[in-house]
Amino acid sequence: MITTHRLAKSFDGRPIVRDVSFDAPDGTITGLLGANGAGKTTTLKMICGALQPESGSIFVDNAVDETGAPGDPLSRQHRVGALLDHMGIYSRLTVRENLAYFGRLRRMPAELLEERIESVISVLRLEAIADRRTKGFSQGERMKTALGRALLHSPQNLLLDEPTNGLDIPTIRALRDLLRRLRDSGTCILYSSHVLDEVRALCDRVVIIAEGRIVAQGSPQELCSQAETGSLEEAFIELTSPARSC
Amino acid sequence: MNQAMNQALTIAHKEIIDGIRDVRSIVASLFYALMGPAVVGLVSIATHANTKPESGALVLTSMMAIFTLVAAFVGGMNVAMDTVAGERERRSLLPLLLNLVSRRSVVLGKWLAVSFFALAGLIVNVLGFLLVLAKAGFHIPAFALYTWLPIAMGLFSLPLLAASIQLLISTISRGVKEAQTYLSLVVFLPMGIGMFLVFSPAAKQAWLTAVPLVGQQLQMEALMNGRQIALVEPILLGCLTVVLAVVVLLVAAGRLQHDEIIYGN
Repeated sequence: MITTHRLAKSFDGRPIVRDVSFDAPDGTITGLLGANGAGKTTTLKMICGALQPESGSIFVDNAVDETGAPGDPLSRQHRVGALLDHMGIYSRLTVRENLAYFGRLRRMPAELLEERIESVISVLRLEAIADRRTKGFSQGERMKTALGRALLHSPQNLLLDEPTNGLDIPTIRALRDLLRRLRDSGTCILYSSHVLDEVRALCDRVVIIAEGRIVAQGSPQELCSQAETGSLEEAFIELTSPARSC
Repeated sequence: MNQAMNQALTIAHKEIIDGIRDVRSIVASLFYALMGPAVVGLVSIATHANTKPESGALVLTSMMAIFTLVAAFVGGMNVAMDTVAGERERRSLLPLLLNLVSRRSVVLGKWLAVSFFALAGLIVNVLGFLLVLAKAGFHIPAFALYTWLPIAMGLFSLPLLAASIQLLISTISRGVKEAQTYLSLVVFLPMGIGMFLVFSPAAKQAWLTAVPLVGQQLQMEALMNGRQIALVEPILLGCLTVVLAVVVLLVAAGRLQHDEIIYGN
C-alpha cells in the first residue's frame, strides 16, 4: 500500500508537484491520470526514492523508522518495483545477465536470485530470448525485460509509468493480463498514464492530477458521476479544466 | 560499509564485462595505447641513422614520457564516457538508482571499472615502449626492480586520477557527444604539460616532482635518462595523486545527487 501526504517538488524554481495526497491500496490497480507535464512521473520518482520531496511524506506498506517517520528513500526501494519511463536495459548483456545484475545490487541471495530469474523469465515468456544480448530487441522485448527487472524481488508495490508506450496490441493485452494476475494476488499497482482507454480497461481506482495537484480520485464510475457525464474522457476534461480548479 | 563496497564491486564487474564486450572501443583504446610506441619506434629508426645515440635517446625518452601519460588518460576514456553520460542518454541511470544502491557506490563502482581500463591502457603502452626500445637497441638505464617499483607507484596512480577526472566530466555531461568533446580536450592536459616541460627545461623546479601529472612526467624522464630519484619522491607523488583522485571522485558523487540527473535533459 502506498500513501502520499501533501507532496511538493519543484525543479529549477518551477513547481512541478504542488500538493499530492492519495492512497493506493493493496490488491488494486490505481491509475494516476494526467496530461503531459501534470506531475505524474515526478510523483512516481519521489515514491520510488529517486527524488526527494521538498515537503510532504510517503509511506509504503505503512513502514516507519524508529522515530515514526516514513524512512529514507532507499528503505522504500525494498518494497517497491518500478518501471518508469526509462526502460534502461544494457544492450551488451543478455536478459538473464541484466536481471542477475539488478538482483545482485538488491543483495538477493544467489539461490533465491537464480530461482526468481527463472520464474520471471517464465511468467513474462522470455525463454526464447533469455540468453540473447538485448541489443536489437523490439520495444516489446525490451519492455518485458525491464518489467522483469521490476518484478525480480517480488515487490508488494509496483509502479508503472506509461508502460504500454510503443507496444503492439498483443503485447499490451499480455501486459494487462499479467497486471490483473498480480493485482489478484494482492499487489498494489500504481499505473501512470495519459491514455484514457488504457486506464478505463485496467484501473480499479483513478487519481487525476493536474498542474501538480490532485483534482479528483475514486473509481471510474465515481469520477463520471462527479463530473456528471457518462464517459471517463469527458469526466477527465471537466475535472481538469482550469475553470474548475479556480 | 561492506554492503556498499559489495555493490560497488558488482557495478565495477558489470562495467568491465560491458566494456570488454564493446569490441570497437577496446580496439580504439589499444590503438591509442600503442600509438606512442609505434611513433617512438619510427623516430628511433630515424635518430639511430642520423644522430648520436645520446641525443636520440634524449628525444625518445621525452616523447615516451608524454605518450605514456596520455595513455593513462585514453585507456578508460570510452568507458568513462559510456558509463555515466551514456547511461543518462540511454536512460538506464535512473533504473540503476532504484535498486537500493547509494550514489556513492555507483560512482565508486564505475570509477573502479574506468581505472581498470585506464590502467590496462597504461600497461599496454609501457610494455609496447619496452619492446620498441629493446628492439631499437637503446639501453634503458636502471632497469631494476628497486628503481622501477617506486616509479611505478607514482606512474600507476595516474590512471586512478585520470579515471576520477573523466568520471566527473561524464557526470556533468548530458550525453555521450558532450562528454566526448570534453574528454578529448582533457587528453591535451598531459600532452600540453609534457610538451611544455620538454621545451622549457627551466620550468622544471624540484617541487614539481610532487605535483600529480607533472611529477610523473619529470620522474619518468629522470628514470629514462639515468638520473637518481630519492625513494620518497615517487611515494609522495603516488599518495598525492591518489588523494586528488579521491577528492575529484567525491565531487563526482556529489554531482550524482543533483535532481538534474534524474530529470534528464
